[in-house]
Amino acid sequence: MSRFLAVEDQLVRMQRDLNRALDGDPQKVKWGMVIDLAKCIGCHACTVACVAENKLPPGVVYRPVLEYESGTYPAVGRRFMPRPCLHCQNPPCTKVCPVTATYTNEAGVVVVDYNRCIGCRYCLVACPYSARTSDFGDWYTHGTTEAQGVVQGQKTAAAGYEADPAAEYGKKWPKRGKGSPVGNARKCHFCLHRLAVRMLPACVTTCIGRATIFGNRNDPESLVYQMIGSARMFRLKEELGTKPAVYYLA
Amino acid sequence: MRYKLFPILSITAMVGLVIGSFGMFDRLLNGLNPVAFGSYVPWGLWVAFYLLFLGLSAGAFLVTILTYLLGIKAFKSIGPLSAFMVLVCLICEMFFILLDLGSIHRAFYQFFLTPNFSSLLTWMFILFNAMGIIYILKTYFLVRGAIIQGVPNQTGLIRSIFRLLSLGRTQYDEDMRAADERRVHRLAWLSLPIGLVFYGTNGAFFAVLLNRPIWNSAVTPLLFVVAALLSGGALVAFLTYLFTANDTELRDTLTKYLGRAILFLLVVFLALETMLFSVGYQTGRPDVVTSLNHITIGPGWWNFWIVHFAIGSLIPLALLTFFYRNPKAVAWACFLIFITFISVRYNFVIPDLAVYKLEGLDTGFFDPRLSTSYAPNLNEWLVSIWVISAGLIVFLLGTRYLPIVNANSGGMDHAS
Repeated sequence: MSRFLAVEDQLVRMQRDLNRALDGDPQKVKWGMVIDLAKCIGCHACTVACVAENKLPPGVVYRPVLEYESGTYPAVGRRFMPRPCLHCQNPPCTKVCPVTATYTNEAGVVVVDYNRCIGCRYCLVACPYSARTSDFGDWYTHGTTEAQGVVQGQKTAAAGYEADPAAEYGKKWPKRGKGSPVGNARKCHFCLHRLAVRMLPACVTTCIGRATIFGNRNDPESLVYQMIGSARMFRLKEELGTKPAVYYLA
Repeated sequence: MRYKLFPILSITAMVGLVIGSFGMFDRLLNGLNPVAFGSYVPWGLWVAFYLLFLGLSAGAFLVTILTYLLGIKAFKSIGPLSAFMVLVCLICEMFFILLDLGSIHRAFYQFFLTPNFSSLLTWMFILFNAMGIIYILKTYFLVRGAIIQGVPNQTGLIRSIFRLLSLGRTQYDEDMRAADERRVHRLAWLSLPIGLVFYGTNGAFFAVLLNRPIWNSAVTPLLFVVAALLSGGALVAFLTYLFTANDTELRDTLTKYLGRAILFLLVVFLALETMLFSVGYQTGRPDVVTSLNHITIGPGWWNFWIVHFAIGSLIPLALLTFFYRNPKAVAWACFLIFITFISVRYNFVIPDLAVYKLEGLDTGFFDPRLSTSYAPNLNEWLVSIWVISAGLIVFLLGTRYLPIVNANSGGMDHAS
């Protein structure tokens, strides 16, 4: 329990869970996520935060929020379902990669080695959740004016934001051009670069409904472990046997 | 060999190469940025063309097996041509699949550094290279004698090429001929299992994807083999008609044989296709029905009903059934089958991809790359024209200047 808050925000609890996981035996850490659909208000803040955190180019998205309408007027409902990569424990995508560019790391996160990927997109086709997108080298500033300025102008804007890639996978990537990750498959990686410096994934910290819970799913003290045990828990397309490490609460 | 269509085909190929080079330039300069496909339809026209050429190579492969393994004498005269055709088709396949990659350069070393043997794409890479090596050697040993003996008759650049391919030899005696025959026979033996696994693996490549209901079937590899033999066999039959015009008796015999085989394969293929559709519709699964509807009543309905069903199936079926004694009619039927087969390949690749795998994906995040709506754009067509033209030029040059059509006055006997 926090010493400063009357009611502890679950972000504080998850931060504590994260610190405990990082201070413990790395072999016992398996990251997992629970998304409480009853709390998701469909604000898309997680999508935007993810795009900004990872500086995703046009056409690349790691965590869209899917929307469903149900019922008939006047008894209608609207539901929202954030869909990151589900980090399957039996992932169809890693099996089909011909060059082992995508694999499950020691913490149970399905990652992509940008410097190995040949861009065949077989993994995109194999993913049952359409959780992977390919980087086709699009730019937000492509086709915009060349005029000089602070906020406008292709060169200025590109140099200020798009040209410098994010430190995905904790690596410094070269300026965005024609090299990796352009041409590669890209996907959610649970913000491994943030975890490495004891920060929760961007989608977790920006979730205003506190619908996204993250932590070590092997740690019985963690919030994520406890939520996985909820009677409301389900996993997407369970019948496919992919065993996602992202769980939903109905 | 000189033949009537050489000038017109050469001009067509050169024009295609020039026009297509605009697309190739854009593709090589800007990567996959100019293409119309995206992340939800990650494969497009180029994969469909890859499958088309895969099929065309299979027909020629079958003829080489019949000639050099089973020793069916009727096909002797088109043996070297068939082996060369396999090579040309493999070259086109290689271009199409390389150009479809996001990072082409890594394909040249990453398969060797970090191969994943649980991926069927790795096996396709291995088997493709094995087929390439086998058919380079097979074609070479089939024409080597004619090349060595033909050096004195050639002039200029062709003479230099002949001398280079002769590897310093000036004599070709009976012992060497017998040795080459044995080599070809051994290579034919080797190519049988490798070829069958190669063509089957291409079907399995799609069949193993459990989230793709149209592809995820044990019948898919079989359908692939039948489709490959049908389209490739049709091409071989058509070329046979074209390249044996000087010997009408031989032409009629071969065309008749091949016509019967094509008719059989066409009926089997249409039966399998009917099963695929009827079983799919019977399941009533929304994603399956949506995919099938995409083929039959979607925006590309004409592609299925007019191009594939009417022109590529019904007319050839009628010609092969009622006019099977007429070699010209058989050749026309075969021409219609292989020329329209891209429609079959396109309708295999796209429809399963053109369905959202989760409800709400269409409205979750908007971008042209995140849509299941796909139609090949100008760049994709131009690149395709370039690759096909390049393949045609290789084929034309080979058949015109190398002793492929008339090698050993109608091919060599198989070594038994």
